[in-house]
Amino acid sequence: MKTKIYLSVILSVALVSVTRAQVSPEIELGAKGVMSGNIVVDNANTASAVSDFSDSQILLGFKQKLYSAWRGQMVFGFQFPDADSDLGQVFFNHVFLTVENHKNIFKLGRSTTKTIINEFPTLRDDDAISFNYSLNPFSIGSNTQDNQYGNVIEYTHIFRQRYWFTFHGENLANLSSPTDFSLNAFGASFLYIVPGSQRWNRNVLQRIGMSYNNYLTDRPGYSGYEEALKNILGTVTINVFPDPVHFVDFRIQGIYNIGFSEIDSINSYRNYVKTPYFSTFGTVRYLYRKLERPFIQVSAGMGYKSFSSVAGSNQFIGITNIFYRLGEHFDLGFQYRYLHNYGETGSLFGQKQHRFQLALVYSIDQIFNNQFDDRNSILNLEHGYIK
Amino acid sequence: MNRKEFIGYSATGAAGMALFPANLFAKENLKKNEKRFPQILPYAKKGKWKEFELEINIMEHELAPAMKIHTLAFNNMIPGPEIRVKEGDQVRVKFKNKTEINHTIHWHGIYVPWRMDGVPYVTQMPVMADQEFIYEFTAKPYGTHFYHCHWGTLLHMQSGMFGSFIVENDDDPVKKAFPYEREYTLVYSAHDVNFLRNELNGMLERMKERSYLMKNGRFDPQRFNLFNTKEELLNAIENGYQPPYLVNRRSLADLPNPNWFTVNGKSYPSTPSLLIKTGETIRVRLINSGTENHHLHLHGHDFWMVCDDGLPLPRPWQRNTLSLSPGKTYDIIIEGNNRGIWTFHDHDTRRVTNNGLYPGGNLMALVYEDLPVEERQVGKMNNGKNILPKIALDE
Repeated sequence: MKTKIYLSVILSVALVSVTRAQVSPEIELGAKGVMSGNIVVDNANTASAVSDFSDSQILLGFKQKLYSAWRGQMVFGFQFPDADSDLGQVFFNHVFLTVENHKNIFKLGRSTTKTIINEFPTLRDDDAISFNYSLNPFSIGSNTQDNQYGNVIEYTHIFRQRYWFTFHGENLANLSSPTDFSLNAFGASFLYIVPGSQRWNRNVLQRIGMSYNNYLTDRPGYSGYEEALKNILGTVTINVFPDPVHFVDFRIQGIYNIGFSEIDSINSYRNYVKTPYFSTFGTVRYLYRKLERPFIQVSAGMGYKSFSSVAGSNQFIGITNIFYRLGEHFDLGFQYRYLHNYGETGSLFGQKQHRFQLALVYSIDQIFNNQFDDRNSILNLEHGYIK
Repeated sequence: MNRKEFIGYSATGAAGMALFPANLFAKENLKKNEKRFPQILPYAKKGKWKEFELEINIMEHELAPAMKIHTLAFNNMIPGPEIRVKEGDQVRVKFKNKTEINHTIHWHGIYVPWRMDGVPYVTQMPVMADQEFIYEFTAKPYGTHFYHCHWGTLLHMQSGMFGSFIVENDDDPVKKAFPYEREYTLVYSAHDVNFLRNELNGMLERMKERSYLMKNGRFDPQRFNLFNTKEELLNAIENGYQPPYLVNRRSLADLPNPNWFTVNGKSYPSTPSLLIKTGETIRVRLINSGTENHHLHLHGHDFWMVCDDGLPLPRPWQRNTLSLSPGKTYDIIIEGNNRGIWTFHDHDTRRVTNNGLYPGGNLMALVYEDLPVEERQVGKMNNGKNILPKIALDE
């Protein structure tokens, strides 16, 4: 092993000296700061947090053109997880490389997993995680990152600019064997996505697609295909009122977890994830854009989760929020979330919870040393892709 | 691979144009060179009018081999086609906008009626997507002029919206003083390709949204940042309108910093060559449609500067370098009195680079067509041929 590393270092140095590498990369900086004051009313108890900064994160990307019309990118990112997440103070949620050309993308490293195939307007990405994510069956539920991120290998082919077909494999976090980095999940997804730059071209359908996930779980008494936990995700985003000033859209995602029908009790997190369920989550969003800039956004969402093998154990979520833009990238927000767990889910997670959050949010996505265009720019989409 | 080896390899390449000897004098290369000058726009005679048609579109444009950008272009050419008329002609130009972005045409140096001057919201409304505007005027004064877009001028001009406008006179004083048969038009420009790409994308995106609203009869002047009076602007600011130049809407110092420099839309090695013969006199019309000063220097010759902004000079100036500032036109006369191949380039050598690398930019040459074959040889190249390479790139 040492010899290999030594040789590879020598090779890198030699290549650099021969080519006199002069190409400085495009540098992309993404950052999101979410600071909220929380009040949680849980059955008879009330708790509060003065300043919750979970889900805040920084992403740093380095991108450059390769030979033969390919592009390569390296991304590093970290976020601040929940205090009780067992992940430490900082969690490196993105460490990956991509190589791509006009129609193909290869991705390798730690990044988001295909456990969700839409984006919902909640204060934090994990606010409705039990409803809008396919949950990681290897996790014990101590954090949300286990469901959102993993060590991934992905190949995506893009047809006609809008049809994204992805094969993906993952090593999802497995706390029972944390040093096992072998493939423990794989699947495929197919999505039709209208690029953001063309959102005024098409009035109604913005996104539709589905995904199939296959988790290589242990299932006592079964082998092969039957041993794996499988689920199917479907989603759609519709512009209800595609007006640039008063904009309304609706998005919904459903997850059918084929699961293990022999699990007929939700007495542990692992049973909760593996028993068959159907969950759905949808939001309606109103966005007022004053002079081409977001000004106020109001959204309301609901989710429902039912377990076919565990009678009477359903879950409900209601979530609503409002964001007021203080300036470019800077928002003041308020969010209220109501959770109600019936039956055995109530015993596991608590029966109901009200959560109120007042937040300041700062989010940017800036490119420095810009050198080439994005695949989804109007010029590249409508006037010929420049390699 | 060192530079010499590289030159050897590139000399064997088939692509590219001939700036230096080698096969420059081959028929196909002479033909290619002709196309590196503005193409003359044909007209239809409609009564007293010479009627021209110009349309604007977005296209992929190759600045130099393997370097493509998206640009705006009149009639899919950069520069736009050359309009050539006689002084006193009645000119009608039907201008069709086939993009989603607003445009106008300003006739730079022409004594047009003010309603034909092409300045949006001053002399006319902008020509919006799919609209047509008809410009009518009398061609005067005589000389070398040009036309360009006057909407989003900084972006649109360096995006390729420019073309030469030549007003001829049968009693041409320059031709009388310096009888010539051949003449060339060279239109200079400079391009910050990153600025161009980002601004064009942004403008297209904004216009998609605005067009959507306008189609629904909801034109909002504030979206176009339009105000009838200063008081109206101040009131709008009082009510929350943020002018687009403020730092809460736009980062500081986004002015373009050109890194590509073109003659007739091309950078070396795709720039044109000026062909001349011993004893011949040629006229060269120089137009700066870009944002940079170009200090043009001709090797081995003096030239006569005969017109300034199209106007004949009372007394021609003999010189070998001139400063062509933005918006200027000069006409020069070159006399073929020193046979050879002579570079003609910007002596601000930052502008003879492509993306910072020499040679490139507006580097070009004055080439004597009657240069004997034996004089084209300067030394034995690595490839064993006794000729110079067609293209020499360095790094």
